[in-house]
Amino acid sequence: MSGALYVGVDLGSSATKCVVLDETTTLVGYHVVKSGFDYVEAGQVALHHALAKAEGEPADVAYCVSTGYGRERVALANRRVTEITCHARGAREWYPAVRNIIDVGGQDTKVIRLSEGGRMADYRMNAKCAAGTGTFLESTAHKLDLSLQQLDELAMTSTEPAVVNSYCTVFAGTEVIERIKEGQPARDIAMGLFRSIATRVSEMLAVRDGAVAVTGGVAAHCRALVRALEEVLETEVLLPPMPQYAGAFGAALLATETNDAERSSTSHVAHR
Amino acid sequence: MSATAAKRIKIKSQERLGALMREHFLDLDEAARDPQRRVAWCTSVGPCEILTAMGFETYFPENHGALLGARRVSHELIPRAVAIGYCAESCSYMTSDIGSTLAGVSPLTEAFGIDGPPNPDLLVYSTNQCREVQDWWGFHGRRTDAAVMGVCPPSHLGEVTREHVAFVSGLLERLVEKIEHRFGATLDRDRLKEVVALSSRASALWRQVLDTARARPAALTFFDGVIHMAPVILMRGSQKAIDYYETLLAELNQRIADGVGGIPEERFRIYWEGMPIWPKVRELAEKFFDLRTVVAASTYCNSWAFDEYDGGDPIEWMARTSIEIFINRDEVSKQKFLSEMFNRFEIDGAIFHNARTCPNNTNSRFGMAQRVRDEMDMPVLVLDGDLSDVRFFSTAQTMTNIEAFIEQLEECKR
Repeated sequence: MSGALYVGVDLGSSATKCVVLDETTTLVGYHVVKSGFDYVEAGQVALHHALAKAEGEPADVAYCVSTGYGRERVALANRRVTEITCHARGAREWYPAVRNIIDVGGQDTKVIRLSEGGRMADYRMNAKCAAGTGTFLESTAHKLDLSLQQLDELAMTSTEPAVVNSYCTVFAGTEVIERIKEGQPARDIAMGLFRSIATRVSEMLAVRDGAVAVTGGVAAHCRALVRALEEVLETEVLLPPMPQYAGAFGAALLATETNDAERSSTSHVAHR
Repeated sequence: MSATAAKRIKIKSQERLGALMREHFLDLDEAARDPQRRVAWCTSVGPCEILTAMGFETYFPENHGALLGARRVSHELIPRAVAIGYCAESCSYMTSDIGSTLAGVSPLTEAFGIDGPPNPDLLVYSTNQCREVQDWWGFHGRRTDAAVMGVCPPSHLGEVTREHVAFVSGLLERLVEKIEHRFGATLDRDRLKEVVALSSRASALWRQVLDTARARPAALTFFDGVIHMAPVILMRGSQKAIDYYETLLAELNQRIADGVGGIPEERFRIYWEGMPIWPKVRELAEKFFDLRTVVAASTYCNSWAFDEYDGGDPIEWMARTSIEIFINRDEVSKQKFLSEMFNRFEIDGAIFHNARTCPNNTNSRFGMAQRVRDEMDMPVLVLDGDLSDVRFFSTAQTMTNIEAFIEQLEECKR
């Protein structure tokens, strides 16, 4: 591999994603691994495989931006940026006119509002609670002895989604049991769970004009989430080609955009 | 400790503050043991001047609640209060203080070597800040058999009218009568004038201290303010508070002259709306320090910056100041105040703290944050947390939220 590489590492609570861009911002490598217990190792493994796909090695990396909850644990990072900014940057690259970005992650859900010029105008993050996040779906699927994929497939066959109102994952689990007791079909209960996430998202979306895109791991694996969002928000929801990589992609783009002056100064965000 | 913390230039007066607090609490402890002296507990913006003028030593339980939070023990004590029927979502100052009493532990022991809060002869509250104090004082009244007396002024006021002030003056006069009757004492009106003048002077100096954050770089931050505000709460009505603020103000003015700021190379100026997050004050101070962002002004620290006393009826001054405070006003008045503060301190962004157990001192629950953003073109961030109970707080989420907010301000600046 010749030429400089720009790397974005998104070390999330569930998965660690790495994206490698070349000097023309062409995607040349990417990889995802489970974050597990060792964030440092997860970052290294994801980077190693992404660089391998790019036919590069660590010495080729001109600049690296880390993001996600484990962003402080990425040793290679020159700069650390929040996943909010990175998801916004990634989504904007795929959809230049997008105004609203919904990132449903493992630990939290964010809604980011962009200005007409593409700048971050506002954002909101869910409160300290798992309801409305990927963890909520995983936890409930586990309770029903289903994989996330099975839950999604089941939900996509729903004709009359059940109502799951609770603000709390534990109480939502209780509500699911109530719905089972009432004899509601599993497919409708499954879709009810996705609808409850969409409802939480709708609470965070104050202004509803402009295009809406959804990013994050849940969107990557669950078509039912996109459907639920479209039904609840009553608008088309754009699903980018690599939704799970939006944060890492945005981080890599920010790496390419960091100018020489910024590189030579001590970043306020990164403390290496 | 962050990598950059070593660059922070400490406010030297803090040493004097430590000694002052020690003297204050040791004296209170002595007063509680001395049959010739009386101790009254009072709410933080309550009618303490009347109590001081009548010879009571005053103790402020909300300060104990804050101390329990700052010492990160509230979450261990709150379950004790919950177990006897106090809701876990009600004021965590109250529940942690009640829990502390039930457990027989207090941070005052470690800090000053005393058993805990001084036993009260009298408990006086004003519901000008919240109704919870009535129930909180009630707990201690039942426990100690001390008299519980209070005033319930009109709340959520728009314009504060002469009628409002006259009504509250009447409540305070009735309170005086009740205390006089109960303790066989007489309020010396000239002494009350003196105490109110001292209170007003301390408050005016406190306002000047807060105003040193208008300088660039700001001479002090919100996180300094929440420490140095102690005398204006605990010792107002005394010369000690005045002396302390004169010393502190001189030091801060010298910092301005020397170009020394609370945050070196300050990039952004933030307004903090709502209660401090006491268990996380240090972590938050370091986060903002690392982000080279100063929290330059706050509603909270400004709560004890009253209008000056003009030498008239001291009861009327107390009545007016007690209901004019931000927390006792309607949303329109609050928003107007915020707008003035944003201009006065040249604020770049506002953070609203949604304190889960303190709805009365949380102003993001009725759309104000969004109105501030839209009507004042002010970037806003709402943080979920609590004043004392860390169980309502997520460090990772909060720190990401703050970093993202600064990234948003950077984008605005480009």
